[in-house]
Amino acid sequence: MKLYMENLTKEYEGRKVLDIGKLQIEKGDLCGIIGPNGAGKSTLLNLIAGLIKPTSGRLMYGDEMELTAPQKKITMVFQTPYLMHTTVEKNIAYPLKLRNWSSDRIEARVEELTRELGLTNFRRQKSWKLSGGETQKVALARALSFQPELLLLDEPTANVDPSTTAEIEKMLKRINDTSGTTVILVTHNLVQAKRVCAQAIFLNQGKVVEYGESEKMLKSPEHDLTRRFVAGELLI
Amino acid sequence: MEDIATGFHNAIILLLTLDAQLYEIVGLSLAVSLSSVIISACLGVPLGALIGTHSFPFKNALLRIIYTFMSLPPVIAGLVVFLLIMRRGPLGSWGLTYTPTAMVIAQVCLVTPIITGLTYNIVRDKAPTVKALAITLGAGKMESLKLLIFELRIGILAAIVTGLGRAISEVGAVMIVGGNIKGKTRVMTTYIAQLKSMGDYSTAIAVGIVLLIMAFLINTFLYNVQQKIEN
Repeated sequence: MKLYMENLTKEYEGRKVLDIGKLQIEKGDLCGIIGPNGAGKSTLLNLIAGLIKPTSGRLMYGDEMELTAPQKKITMVFQTPYLMHTTVEKNIAYPLKLRNWSSDRIEARVEELTRELGLTNFRRQKSWKLSGGETQKVALARALSFQPELLLLDEPTANVDPSTTAEIEKMLKRINDTSGTTVILVTHNLVQAKRVCAQAIFLNQGKVVEYGESEKMLKSPEHDLTRRFVAGELLI
Repeated sequence: MEDIATGFHNAIILLLTLDAQLYEIVGLSLAVSLSSVIISACLGVPLGALIGTHSFPFKNALLRIIYTFMSLPPVIAGLVVFLLIMRRGPLGSWGLTYTPTAMVIAQVCLVTPIITGLTYNIVRDKAPTVKALAITLGAGKMESLKLLIFELRIGILAAIVTGLGRAISEVGAVMIVGGNIKGKTRVMTTYIAQLKSMGDYSTAIAVGIVLLIMAFLINTFLYNVQQKIEN
């Protein structure tokens, strides 16, 4: 389903950190959100995930559903993911148990995801013994386990090595292509935004400055602020 | 020094000869302490988790009350429970005076605030992260709370062990509501207090050593459980 927001604002102690007039992200998009620190990128993700409530405005999922609370079809992967204090496979299986999947289906899905993300040898590994990259892959596998309609990622590759970054990017593209999962990726990495995302949104001081095809936006930005950001003149 | 040496000697004899009176006292001590800790954990863990994860009016006032009750003098707890359950008290018709049940109630009053307060402190630090994770994976309110307790199980176990320490070593409250009646409400701590007042130091030391051994064994068991969870 498409994601639509209108006059969406979020304030903290009277300070407006997000102020979006109109924005629509189509179903099946792989959309990057870029912008300097304090632009409101994570706030926007948290609003969509239902972790915080907007101060005003509307946030619609599809034509009829207003996002006022967390939805079971929407999930989020955090920059520093929290893995439960148990094994890798139990972490991946957790959302499936919440959805009352049968043990056979859970086993098959865990097997599939660990294979795809190169985690087969880590299945029975305790979560706290994993490296940063492995932890991020487990968090991604766990988020993908129940085949969400909308996947939100808050700088998922900020703390991982290049090869794990490549694996995660490949996975994101694949699930977007094959399952039609809508993916919204917050990233500071402009090359990554260009490489992975078809669309990009440039946020600055809580406002959408530019929205369009990522390649075009990052190659020849229309707005002066975007141009300065891409040129590294705006602080990240 | 001689009393201490005799105490050790008597402790070994008491244990090896399977002294019936001692084992009865040990049994009742265990039953009262463990029952009160189990009840307190059932009340204190969810309560601490709820307070730690929710904002509500007068939360700070409630926390101050809980912290105060964490250091509640046992004699006050015992006195209040006694006034409630004594024959002329509001719960006098229940006939609980000088019974093990009264001792459990008094200890629950002492241990529940400890487990609640310690659980609250553990939950407060980790709750936002775990709650955000649970929500984004599709968990409801109850499931989020269950996940939180599961994730904090090592810290919660430590809170329960602290509560058990309070229960097993406590003398004032059980003395007031139990009365230290031989064969009925006599537990190790009240027995030690009585032996001391009678001047029987060596037996008092012997019972004290048995109490220490018992506390050591229980804590060893709980420590092993904790290690097993961690590994």
